[in-house]
Amino acid sequence: MKYIKNHLMFILPLMAILLGIEFYLVFDRATDTYEKGLQEGYSMLVVTNDPMETDAFRALNRHISKSEPIERDKIVSKIAQGVTKEGEEKILKSLPYFYNVHLDEYISTEELIGLKEDLERSPLIKKVETFGSNYESNYRLFTFIKFTLKIFIGFMTVVSLFLIMKQMEIWKYAHKERMQIMEIFGAPLMLRSGVLFKVAIVDAIVATLIVSSIFLYLKFQWAVHSGIEIMVENRDYLFRVTDIGVLLAAALLIVIISVYSVVYSAKGVEE
Amino acid sequence: MSNVINASNLTLTYDNGRKEVITDVNFTVKKGEFVFITGPSGSGKSTLLKSLYGRIKPTSGNLVVGGVDLGHVRPSKLQELRTHMGIIFQDFKLVNEWTVSKNVVLPLMIAGYSLDVQNTQAHRLLKHVKLTEHADKYPLELSGGEQQRVGVARALAKNPVLILADEPTGNLDDYSSNVIWDLMENACQQLETTVLVVTHKIPQVFSLPYRHFIIEGKGVYEVH
Repeated sequence: MKYIKNHLMFILPLMAILLGIEFYLVFDRATDTYEKGLQEGYSMLVVTNDPMETDAFRALNRHISKSEPIERDKIVSKIAQGVTKEGEEKILKSLPYFYNVHLDEYISTEELIGLKEDLERSPLIKKVETFGSNYESNYRLFTFIKFTLKIFIGFMTVVSLFLIMKQMEIWKYAHKERMQIMEIFGAPLMLRSGVLFKVAIVDAIVATLIVSSIFLYLKFQWAVHSGIEIMVENRDYLFRVTDIGVLLAAALLIVIISVYSVVYSAKGVEE
Repeated sequence: MSNVINASNLTLTYDNGRKEVITDVNFTVKKGEFVFITGPSGSGKSTLLKSLYGRIKPTSGNLVVGGVDLGHVRPSKLQELRTHMGIIFQDFKLVNEWTVSKNVVLPLMIAGYSLDVQNTQAHRLLKHVKLTEHADKYPLELSGGEQQRVGVARALAKNPVLILADEPTGNLDDYSSNVIWDLMENACQQLETTVLVVTHKIPQVFSLPYRHFIIEGKGVYEVH
């Protein structure tokens, strides 16, 4: 019972940290896709005096990824219904050129204002419409969700690290005497801390497997049967095989730091 | 014969150098010698012993043990030196969660001997200290005298060059004490191991020729 309790006292906070990391990975993937969606869906309207190529736009600001001309003929045919062919041509001649301009990434509102100013500075450009208010509210909501999640994960990690440190104190008490005796007889650090490493590495693997299993279950069982369309469509974000490597590496790093902290604090105490 | 211990102008302090225990002391111990160091409580016997296995560094002067200058020793070298020593403590310092057998072969485990060799040696050593039937027990299941015999067996496990003993019979009855002294005498006689014992009283039954140092007033003096 005591043996299981000792392991759980380390595995549970370690799991909390790993869950935080995995949540972050999932959220990062999901937001990355959402960001791409927003960025791809967003375009600004630019009105120019003469025809312009994408490179010419990009020369004015590096965030511009592509420009799509809006067909002037269609605009004219819509606004010139009932007008003679001659009149239509006159309208077409006097009409400026319209472009949908796309961005290479999801930029901040400040950057968007800067981009607009860059474009407006050009004598070739007559008008720029950025649809700023819609963009800003999306962007703010998006950064707020990201910030909140980071705070939550950070808080969870700090609390878990405190619990792990507490467990280290118990380990130090339990293993100190043996490590000191081994040190007196000339045992190298790795041999002295061998038992601790074995215990901690096993715990790290167990914690990684449990967290991975939880997310695998969410991906292949819960998401599939949840009936939530967005979950079913995006369940690939929930867990990837590479996440096991990330989680195990994080767990092992925590384990190594924890064990060395115990070994060094137990070193050279009065014999 | 070569010196196993060579102390020259040795000064030892504790409490971050605030309290001087031994001042400007000179002595040598040769290979195969049996040495007693006695002195009143608090005279610095244990401090001197700790300095001999590198637990305390000399404040000034030189202390060379087994050819290693303990004033300027790297941790890895000190580690290696300790593997050639057998150390016996008044409070035994056995690993209570290990069996008697495993405790005895600790020096062999550190030296990287195979499990087969460790098992064979454990049997031989426990037979030597007459504890064969206790091999699979844990230290706390044994009496004080038996635990100290385990400590002696552990100290002898790797045929050390030097055995250091800190009040090895301090807490034991006469019978157990005599057994411990016999074991140490045998090691010195048969294996030419240098033995240095810090004790408050030299045992009356001791039969080997020995050297005797007294610690008094921060000095170490040989008694002739």
